[in-house]
Amino acid sequence: MSDFSNSLQTAVSGMRAQSTRLRHVSENIANTDTPGYRRKIMNFEQVTKDGAKTGEVRSAGISLDRTELTRIFDPAHPMSNEDGYYDGSNVDLVVEIADAREAQRSYEANLKMFEQTRKMSSKLLELLRK
Amino acid sequence: MFNNLEIFRSAGAMARHAAQRQSVVAENIANADTPGYRTKDLTAFEVPADDLRNAMKSTRGTHFDPGSRTTAASIILGDQSGLSPNGNSVSLESEMFKSIEAERQHSRAMTIYKSSLDILRASLGRR
Repeated sequence: MSDFSNSLQTAVSGMRAQSTRLRHVSENIANTDTPGYRRKIMNFEQVTKDGAKTGEVRSAGISLDRTELTRIFDPAHPMSNEDGYYDGSNVDLVVEIADAREAQRSYEANLKMFEQTRKMSSKLLELLRK
Repeated sequence: MFNNLEIFRSAGAMARHAAQRQSVVAENIANADTPGYRTKDLTAFEVPADDLRNAMKSTRGTHFDPGSRTTAASIILGDQSGLSPNGNSVSLESEMFKSIEAERQHSRAMTIYKSSLDILRASLGRR
């Protein structure tokens, strides 16, 4: 039974990490038009407990995308410089959508593992029912 | 069959192995996006040696001890082809396949256990 609760816990940690990733993606999309906003990237890492890897996963904080900010020409904008340009964000919506879709797929895979493990353990418990 | 209920032990070992494999696969899937993570797998299931009918028996002290053979499954590295740029070698498709395999092995073990239990119950005159 401990193997089952282990795999349930691992699957849950995967789902939690993927939903954190999705949250950062939605932050990026919401800030597409914020001047000077840099895209956030979430990193994954394995959880270690007392020096040993537990097999679970968690988010290892975020890092900022270092690509150039887009320069937008709009002389009427209050932040524009003398040439009429200001720094926009470096969010690319297509990349964000692809990232969100990948997070969704990984979440589904973890969810499937969860369901399957639950099915197996309920089959085991059925033996005791009679 | 009734002197030594080895079939129950074998079925139990099989179910335990399937559960262990499921746990390894869950770990792989959870870490499908972790940089540098290598896919893991479990060695194939083997019936514990002393459960086999033709297992070696030691009748003299100088004999090879049949109990010393380990049959516990150990974790090995899985297929490392298809390494992604961040050093991760998990393929969700093959993990799904492995988990289905584990589930089928588990349900097979459960079925064997249950039908053996039914035979045992029938011999006791209960239904």
